[in-house]
Amino acid sequence: MEEPTATISLEELDPDGFQSPDFLQDACMTCGYCASACPVSGVDGFDPRKLVRMVNLGLEREVVDARWPWICTMCGRCEAECPMRISISRLVREVRSRRDRDRVPGILHKGVEAAMETGNNLRLPKDDFVFILEDVAEELAEEPGFSGFRVPVDKEDANLLVTVHNKLVNTQTEDLVHWWKIFHAAQEDWTVPSENWEGCNWGMFTGDDEAVRRMSDRIAEQMDRLRAKNLLWPE
Amino acid sequence: MGLETWHADALERFGTVTAFDLLIRYIQEGRITLDRSRFPVRATYHDPCNYGRRSESFFGHAFYDEPRWIMDRLFDDWVEMQPSRNHQLCCGGGGGALLTGYEEERLAYGRRKMERVLATDAELIVVPCHSCHGQLGGMIREMGLKNLRVIYLWEAVADALVL
Repeated sequence: MEEPTATISLEELDPDGFQSPDFLQDACMTCGYCASACPVSGVDGFDPRKLVRMVNLGLEREVVDARWPWICTMCGRCEAECPMRISISRLVREVRSRRDRDRVPGILHKGVEAAMETGNNLRLPKDDFVFILEDVAEELAEEPGFSGFRVPVDKEDANLLVTVHNKLVNTQTEDLVHWWKIFHAAQEDWTVPSENWEGCNWGMFTGDDEAVRRMSDRIAEQMDRLRAKNLLWPE
Repeated sequence: MGLETWHADALERFGTVTAFDLLIRYIQEGRITLDRSRFPVRATYHDPCNYGRRSESFFGHAFYDEPRWIMDRLFDDWVEMQPSRNHQLCCGGGGGALLTGYEEERLAYGRRKMERVLATDAELIVVPCHSCHGQLGGMIREMGLKNLRVIYLWEAVADALVL
């Protein structure tokens, strides 16, 4: 990765490069509060102030190609300190969204593609999903205080519908039971949908608004299909 | 967030509840009872970015007081991490950082957070976020810390249930 250059040729400035008034990046007065608040200032020679300046100067290719917007966790510490309230973390997400999808780092976009095609980030088939839930539920039912426990998959007219984070039906099935124990003790009338149950939307991370929209569409569809009264926001 | 942005009509058809508000409701209505002697160790609480600054920015409300109300009902001895609330440091696992493959950077970020955790002398870090749980649990393993454990807020509630 090339270091951002300290000098910029005037020919490289592009006033039409980043017309995004929502982010207010042109209000930046270069005070540097953001850079001192940021936990990853200095990594790859970047910091939030530099990013905002580069966006302001229309240096789109440089910021979109940089690793830094993906090392930033969009924690929002920079913008919480910004006296001009520039939405820096949203700007980072916008920068991420402008990368070719096949150049999104790691497995993020693969997960988004899987979710678009199958309804969950793991491509886990419906039968396997239900089998895992029932298997873990059987074990819980053997614990004192939880005898007779069952997972109410696709129960209609429930008070509460919950989604499931994919890792809980992947490598961390032992963490499925915590909410179940609470629902059991509270005698909650709840359900979990057998399809489109994914509670973790990686489009949030990759700047993929279409994916975010479709995933939330599907949750709303499950709510309607099962006539559930309330949705537990995915954790 | 997707629902809020694009499905205002859906939100007229059904209600929504956050994990914090649901747990508080169960406790206040007496539907669950918690045993505060369940965890005889010092705990600390980590504010996830998404329930604090980001929630404030997107929805106009940061969830700082709600988890602390629950913490008070779970632990005799729990201490604030410094900094906390809107000045909190990210765990380093947010924004997809657990999945980008930039491991060296993620671990460096996490070590910075762990300094803040270790300064509390807590044996238990309580989190209400899957990414934070993954990152902090990974840091504990990475640093070989034997006397420190990360636990979901709702896991602590489940384990403290009086049945």
